[in-house]
Amino acid sequence: MRRLVIIRLALAVPILLGVSIAAFILVRLLPGDFAQTAAGVTDVSAATLDLMRHNLGLDRPIWAQYLLWLGHALSGDLGTSFATRRPVTSEIFPRLAVTFELTLIAALMAMAMGVATGLASARLRGRADWAVRLWNGFILAIPNFVVATLIVLLAGLYFPQIGIFNYTPFFTAPIANIGSLLLPALSLALAVSVTVSENTRAAVLEIAAQDFVMVARAKGLRPRSVLWNYLVRNALTPVITVTGLRVASLLGGSILIETIFAIPGMGQYLFDSITSRDYPVIQAIVLVTAAIVVLVNVLVDIAYIRADARVEM
Amino acid sequence: MPTNPKADPTSETFIAESAWRLSRRSMLSLAAAGGAFAISPHAFAAGGADPKAKRGGTLSIGADADPIGLDPKTTTAYSSYDFTSLLYTGLLRWTPDMQIEPDLATGYTTPDDTTYIFKLRQGVKFHNGQPFSAEDVKYTFDRVLNSATASRLAATFAGIESVTVIDPVTVQFKLKTSDAAFLRYMATNPDGVIVPKGVDGLDTKPVGTGPFKFVSYQPNQQFVLTANTEYYEEGLPTLKTVVFKFFKDQSALASALRSKAIDMTWFKNPKVAALIARTSHDLVSAPGQTSRTFPVWMNMKAAPMNDVRIRQALSLATDRKACLQTVLGGSGKVGAMIPESQVGGYDGVSPMPFYNHDPAAAKALLAKAGHPNGIDLGDYIVVAANDLDVACSQILQQQWATAGIKVKLKPMETAPLLDMWVKGKWPTLLSVALSWSPDPDAILQRVASNAVFGKNMGMHDAELDKMIADARAQLEPTKRAAENIAIQQRIAENAYVLQIYQYPLRWEAWWDYVHGYHPLAANIRSYVRTTWVDK
Repeated sequence: MRRLVIIRLALAVPILLGVSIAAFILVRLLPGDFAQTAAGVTDVSAATLDLMRHNLGLDRPIWAQYLLWLGHALSGDLGTSFATRRPVTSEIFPRLAVTFELTLIAALMAMAMGVATGLASARLRGRADWAVRLWNGFILAIPNFVVATLIVLLAGLYFPQIGIFNYTPFFTAPIANIGSLLLPALSLALAVSVTVSENTRAAVLEIAAQDFVMVARAKGLRPRSVLWNYLVRNALTPVITVTGLRVASLLGGSILIETIFAIPGMGQYLFDSITSRDYPVIQAIVLVTAAIVVLVNVLVDIAYIRADARVEM
Repeated sequence: MPTNPKADPTSETFIAESAWRLSRRSMLSLAAAGGAFAISPHAFAAGGADPKAKRGGTLSIGADADPIGLDPKTTTAYSSYDFTSLLYTGLLRWTPDMQIEPDLATGYTTPDDTTYIFKLRQGVKFHNGQPFSAEDVKYTFDRVLNSATASRLAATFAGIESVTVIDPVTVQFKLKTSDAAFLRYMATNPDGVIVPKGVDGLDTKPVGTGPFKFVSYQPNQQFVLTANTEYYEEGLPTLKTVVFKFFKDQSALASALRSKAIDMTWFKNPKVAALIARTSHDLVSAPGQTSRTFPVWMNMKAAPMNDVRIRQALSLATDRKACLQTVLGGSGKVGAMIPESQVGGYDGVSPMPFYNHDPAAAKALLAKAGHPNGIDLGDYIVVAANDLDVACSQILQQQWATAGIKVKLKPMETAPLLDMWVKGKWPTLLSVALSWSPDPDAILQRVASNAVFGKNMGMHDAELDKMIADARAQLEPTKRAAENIAIQQRIAENAYVLQIYQYPLRWEAWWDYVHGYHPLAANIRSYVRTTWVDK
């Protein structure tokens, strides 16, 4: 068991190296660079731009730049942002925490909304079913950034008392912090709630037709008990799997949502660094995200081994 | 004088008064700089502390971009200027109606056209307590001109031959040639601001002489400044704290203003500003002077754009007033090369060659150029992130189509577009709006064939190059204005650049409990120093 974990983790090393090389080369293949983008339409002479590039180390051969970066990265230093001139490491982790919190709240909201509408749709049938499926189709058709912009405009113009931009750090005021993330989380959650809702509906319908449910009813159990203990509990397993799969898309969606709601998360950081060609920040975010995905996969593998005797140790 | 020297008021004022009164030449030069230092009532009202002002308090400003470095001499980003303009000050500065007035200087004399001797304020201190003197002025400009600094301003101030300290309160600038742009750059923040001698790391720990001191900065979140209690203008700044909050999304910015999460901001789109202003009577929306233009850059290195008839046809096929009405809702003016807020800027109504909308004449010109059945000019590249640019390019596409000129719109990300633009590598047509420049010469350099950009665009006009050089050397403002108008007519005549309209860089808006603020065409918020809030 221990040997297997070590092997899995060892395999992660070449994967992360490959990701870092790809990120390093790809950002440099993007047309335009930091010096030119920062200058914009300001009249900056080519010589000055070249000197800026020299000071940032961008005039060295790409492999030399990479080896230098790798050396620092191995010692835990992910470089210094071109734009803010601050170490990337000290910026990236607080932001990552904010994004995780936003994603978590959104996932919980999507679960609550999706399970409620899915159940209603499956159990009530008829008009309720139609209404839910119409709503789901409608929500699915609207991208989350449109929802976010509409929320921002409506709340800002007609309900200014809501205060949508009062982002407060968690450790300053936990309740206010969660409150400030509710609307952004809602705009993220809507689309995911459709997936959850449709899956819940399908799962409940499927399980409702199973023999053990019929037996439960025949035993004379109260309908409420049948619903919660037999239907929902069994239907939830696939629903949780689906929600888990959608978390990745929540992370991706948070890029735009954080930008619109001015939340200092990782998404906004990535968005800014891509538009300004802030290479060290882009590389660091790609690497950290890849590391998270790899780590989660290793954990899942380990979980499978423990759960399923058929997987070889 | 709109100056309130704290240290020795009598002698200081005397020096200043005598400097202005005694030298007729200096008055002349001041006028050349875009207006006399003589006090217009507006400038005076804006310059001093308002006796009714409520002192203290916090002003929250919604900003749409983070600063990129806070060293005023090495940053190249417009977004940084908003912050440097409160942290640092220079020898001269701009008034709300874009005249030049003294700031760290109390006055200057010009013994000849290439020499400027500035008298400095006494008793001024930097934020770190270090006293300000002529040594800092010399250090600042020596640092800019040192190529190791990698300052974009090295090119701006390349005309400086030497900076000499005469005594601690007197400094002499010797220029290589007579230069009408010099004082305008000196008045511009951050171009002309003074940094303390021997202090490093200004990029992250700014130290200036400005009305506000740096407190903290969390990228994408907020930038906090506090009042400089040792600031040299009596009674200023009125505010205790200034907080910039960042909103990258324009609708978020609008909602933040509406919900009073911020007290003031500026918008990129006049229609958004108008919409917000309509939602409450208590919002003040004040467009500044027009400071930027929307041009179509044509790559004249090769066919078909190297044919003047095709460029003229494009100009005749353009209905500039329709663009102005549709895109800006009329809040702007028809544009030529130089915006109205500059010396010799175009007023938007005077006749310009090939500015009349005449699709038939355009077709006739095309036929003469060998394209009787119209012409396909290929890709027209625009900044995808700029709503105004995209909207205007769509209207232009339709207008040109009626004259038989076909283009394919290609909205593009800003970084590759800029790369293409500065290198002259776009296929035929490209639009990127020009921001405010301290001096019209900076704009005209783009069409000079002896400058890199003009060369990249395919300019060949020795006569125009000479006109541009002469205008920069012309110290007499009325003559310079006339020369600049002649230059713009020549550009329009040959359709070197197709200018569509001119407009303010930003449409500013604030709640009416914010007082004493004046928008500035220079794209900075200098007048936060006289601002006060009464919520």
